[in-house]
Amino acid sequence: MSSGPKKRNFQIEAFKHKVVVDPKYADKTWRILEHAIHEIYNHNASGLSFEELYRNAYNMVLHKFGEKLYSGLVSTMTFHLHTMSKSIEAAHGASFLEELNMKWNDHTKALQMIRDILMYMDRTFIPSTHKTAVHELGLNLWRDYVIHSSKIQPRLLNTLLDLILRERTGEVINRGLMRNIIKMLMDLGPSVYQEDFEKPFLEVSAEFYRAESLEFIECSDCGDYLKKAERRLNEEIERVSHYLDAKTEVKITNVVEKEMIANHMPRLVHMENSGLVKMLLDDKFEDLGRIYNLFRRVADGLSTIRDVMTSHIRDTGKQLVTDPEKSKNPVEFVDTLLDKRDKYDRIISLAFSNDKTFQNALNASFEYFINLNPRSPEYISLFVDDKLRKGLKGEKEEDIEIILDKVMMLFRYLQEKDVFEKYYKQHLAKRLLSGKTVSDDAERSLIIKLKTECGYQFTSKLEGMFTDMKTSQDTMQGFYAAHAAELGNGPTLVVQVLTTGSWPTQSSITCNLPAELSALCEKFRSYYLGTHTGRRLSWQTNMGTADLRATFANGQKYELNVSTYQMCVLMLFNDTDSLNYREIEQATEIPSSDLKRCLQSLACVKGKNVLQKEPMSKDIGEDDAFSVNDKFTSKLRKVKIGTVVAQKETEPEKQETRQRVEEDRKPQIEAAIVRIMKSRRVLDHNNIIAEVTKQLQSRFLANPGEIKKRIESLIERDFLERDDSDRRLYRYLA
Amino acid sequence: MGVQKDRVRFNVGGRIFETTATTLAIAGRDSLFGAMFDDNWDLQPNVMGTEHFIDRNPDCFAVLLDLLRTGELYIPSNIPEKLLYREALFYGLLDHVRAAMWGPFDGNRLHLAQSIMGRAPGDGTAIRAGPDGGCCVAHGSMVHVYDWMLEEHPPISLDYQRVNDAIWIDSESIVISACERLGRDDGGMGLFSASTGELRYKFHVTHDNQVKSYTGGALSFNSDYKLFSSCKGRSNEYGIGVWDQLTGKQIDFFYEPPGWSLGDADKLQWLHGTNCLLVATLFPRKDNCYISLLDFRDKNMVWCWSDVGAPTTDERRVRDAIAMEETNSICVVNEYEDLGFMDLRSSAGVVRWSSRSRLMKGKMPDEPCYPKLALHEGQLFSSMNDSISVFCGPDWVLTSRLRNSHGGSICDFSIGGDRLFALHSEENVFDIWETRPPPIV
Repeated sequence: MSSGPKKRNFQIEAFKHKVVVDPKYADKTWRILEHAIHEIYNHNASGLSFEELYRNAYNMVLHKFGEKLYSGLVSTMTFHLHTMSKSIEAAHGASFLEELNMKWNDHTKALQMIRDILMYMDRTFIPSTHKTAVHELGLNLWRDYVIHSSKIQPRLLNTLLDLILRERTGEVINRGLMRNIIKMLMDLGPSVYQEDFEKPFLEVSAEFYRAESLEFIECSDCGDYLKKAERRLNEEIERVSHYLDAKTEVKITNVVEKEMIANHMPRLVHMENSGLVKMLLDDKFEDLGRIYNLFRRVADGLSTIRDVMTSHIRDTGKQLVTDPEKSKNPVEFVDTLLDKRDKYDRIISLAFSNDKTFQNALNASFEYFINLNPRSPEYISLFVDDKLRKGLKGEKEEDIEIILDKVMMLFRYLQEKDVFEKYYKQHLAKRLLSGKTVSDDAERSLIIKLKTECGYQFTSKLEGMFTDMKTSQDTMQGFYAAHAAELGNGPTLVVQVLTTGSWPTQSSITCNLPAELSALCEKFRSYYLGTHTGRRLSWQTNMGTADLRATFANGQKYELNVSTYQMCVLMLFNDTDSLNYREIEQATEIPSSDLKRCLQSLACVKGKNVLQKEPMSKDIGEDDAFSVNDKFTSKLRKVKIGTVVAQKETEPEKQETRQRVEEDRKPQIEAAIVRIMKSRRVLDHNNIIAEVTKQLQSRFLANPGEIKKRIESLIERDFLERDDSDRRLYRYLA
Repeated sequence: MGVQKDRVRFNVGGRIFETTATTLAIAGRDSLFGAMFDDNWDLQPNVMGTEHFIDRNPDCFAVLLDLLRTGELYIPSNIPEKLLYREALFYGLLDHVRAAMWGPFDGNRLHLAQSIMGRAPGDGTAIRAGPDGGCCVAHGSMVHVYDWMLEEHPPISLDYQRVNDAIWIDSESIVISACERLGRDDGGMGLFSASTGELRYKFHVTHDNQVKSYTGGALSFNSDYKLFSSCKGRSNEYGIGVWDQLTGKQIDFFYEPPGWSLGDADKLQWLHGTNCLLVATLFPRKDNCYISLLDFRDKNMVWCWSDVGAPTTDERRVRDAIAMEETNSICVVNEYEDLGFMDLRSSAGVVRWSSRSRLMKGKMPDEPCYPKLALHEGQLFSSMNDSISVFCGPDWVLTSRLRNSHGGSICDFSIGGDRLFALHSEENVFDIWETRPPPIV
């Protein structure tokens, strides 16, 4: 046996057979997979076994050949993309996009299948090595080798832009193909879409619309231009919805807005015969709505419209309030204001979508021009007077409210609300005393509105007037109940007891009343003072009215409605046939200006001339003689003889009212100064002026000069003092 | 013949299986079956007699096929779990397997699924549950990472410095914070890959345009990809740092106001509802407790509470705190596991202690562990010595107690991925508690 010596040679060798996989294993397996990828790209996948390929890819990863698999995939895919790129480059003319789309579809389908095979690598090898996943890798390679190939990139962009230009000029293009290509760019990532398409698209669009807008603006009017701009805007929005990324919408509309609207705003708005002013004048709601909606889209667009509207309202408003013709009739004046206000309200609600800033601009404009006419407060009060006297007759309660609300709106614009209050008080007094007010509810409703607007202080006197009226009624009832027996058939006296201060009384001399009446008045005086001790009554004969029964020589009987003054004059003719002016003046002691006016209305107004005058002139002379007009006839049994009086105030009256207003303001300004100084202790001049103006704003616009005077006056009376070191500072002296 | 049109025949490792395309569709598109029967691959599952060969283990295939059929997982004792997992990974069904392993989390239905013995020396610092059922455990200067199959991955460390906190940003990334090493740019915070353990990037702190080394403390993050950490710099640069998770760049720093504590915080908690960060520094790290809510938008401390100046008895000493946004309150716990509550809407911080019987008092184990709190879907968890108590309802009634005394006291626990992980102070043991899959009927 020869085994003996061999046995000696036996030695334990190191374990040589490490588990080594067939060295060619990886190459073999990869070749199978590589072949499969080629077949997939060649549309020849039907012969492949999915299970086999999946298992091979799995095994490569499992046996640590993931790196080889991955790099093999990259180079194989790159090879095919080069081929595809060549074939796309070779495509002629219009077939270029179609070829690109077709190849893209091939690639995505192949990519999906490759990913299926390499699923295990995607799941395990790629995350742990932080490599790009198969799907994303395929997109990146397509981007780098196809889309960014120097022969494709510019051509693709030009083709896309050219198609869009053609669509803009009215041609029909293959939107489906467009959508696919754009979708591909989006799939490659937002940066690809933006850099390779969106940015140049926006630039080209800007150029296109810049040129188009210049062309349009030369040959169309404002309305037409805006219609075209609106259509272009809608077209772009529609284009985005058909084949672009939704995020592009904002960007492309910004371009259109800038080129077609923002760059031409002043020119459009001020276009001769068709610009904004023309639209406002003609109430072109549709055009105004369009201009609003388009301009709203650009910066400063709305402020441009607003400014033009404001200056237009101011200009026309200024014309309106300073037009002497319009000022002749206060009611018409206010009606015109209300119409103007209604017009712009309608424009703002129908065309400007009730934009708050526009409403504010409207209000500011009205405030501006209404206060240009110093008589506006008077006219507004007169308008109310007119409405409450007769104008509201037959109107429904809601309508009254609407009118009153509108009046309140105008009232709010007034800077000199205290002037309004003065006039309102006068007019209200007249209405109440003559019993001309139509609706107590309407009167009260307006007072409540004034109260909510300006506070209790503003209306307390007005409310006092209503209370007086009510109390007077009760007093008269009491008077007649107490003296029923003695009074019998004599004249009926109706006394309205007015609280001093609440009413706009003018200190006037009491005229001589006819004997019958003065006796009655004495009775009332003693009755009233008997029930209210410590009060003083004085007769305001200038404010009363009287109903007289007159029998003329021809036997005609009339009932005459006259003023107290007129009554005094007429009663003189009970005893005599003719009197001259001086005799009348002596007998009645009516102030001459009032007497002249009163005689004028009795003798000079046609149809109401119960007296006749010698000579028969229009004006009353000191030597004129008067007698009863025996030929007086009237169709009506009741004749109302008004006093010749201008409804508006005359110049001197106006001055007087003005003066009273100024007088009333003084204590208010002083009160405000003291209030402010009491809390601030020390304040400089400018700040006092500012704060006082602010505090009084709700009532009137205080004049700085006047405030300064009030401060001086307060210093004189030791309420304030000037600071010794800084003369601009005032100190409050407690 | 009445033959179903969508029948599919497989030959798996020599064994024939028949199933339907409908059943296979449950696997989803991102599985072998989903790809295999996609229109791209010219396979016709409905052609009679076609047999699809798969070169895999037939026993595992049977288990996985049943998983697709029933949604439930039964692993016969002759199949090793690891083999099954590997097969599931091949088919792309691993997520299905995980979902079938345990049910939705319910603190009152937990059972102890497994206890894992660690091999690291020294005491455990913290345990953190990952979002998909894995966990990481910090021991001294190392963090051991386990996936949901409880297989250990390469451990991570930050320059081998002592780890203070760890947090899962997502199932693939963990951030750990560590002490700085004097004189070197070591420590701080780093983001690591959970599967490979490699460091992706470190988070730096910059004061006055100078990068400074620092000690990272408690961690938290929000849904805006912001990461928060309490920081201690060398030159009293204490406060809360804020970083972008995706870029690792520092974006903000909330400096600690004088007389307060932020940089030493034991706990950070992001409150989604109020966009605030809860910062709590507690005894015994500091002599006093400081709890505050920070609003980073205007750099404002919107709510704060401290026991400075209050008589400090053990019963009053806060050991852990957690904000409960649903009830606008903060829950705190003392060392006897008494719960206390504070109202976040009132600035006068008063702790209302709930009087529970002090069963634990007097029989403390040799090495006591102090309570920690956690909140999960309306259930409040509190660990104490070797057990975890579960509280439910508006009045926080004790409803369950989890106990596994092997390994001694519980020093930390964490809930996530529908699992509860509890780390014991001895022998590095940690327990995994799961809810069983829902019952059949």
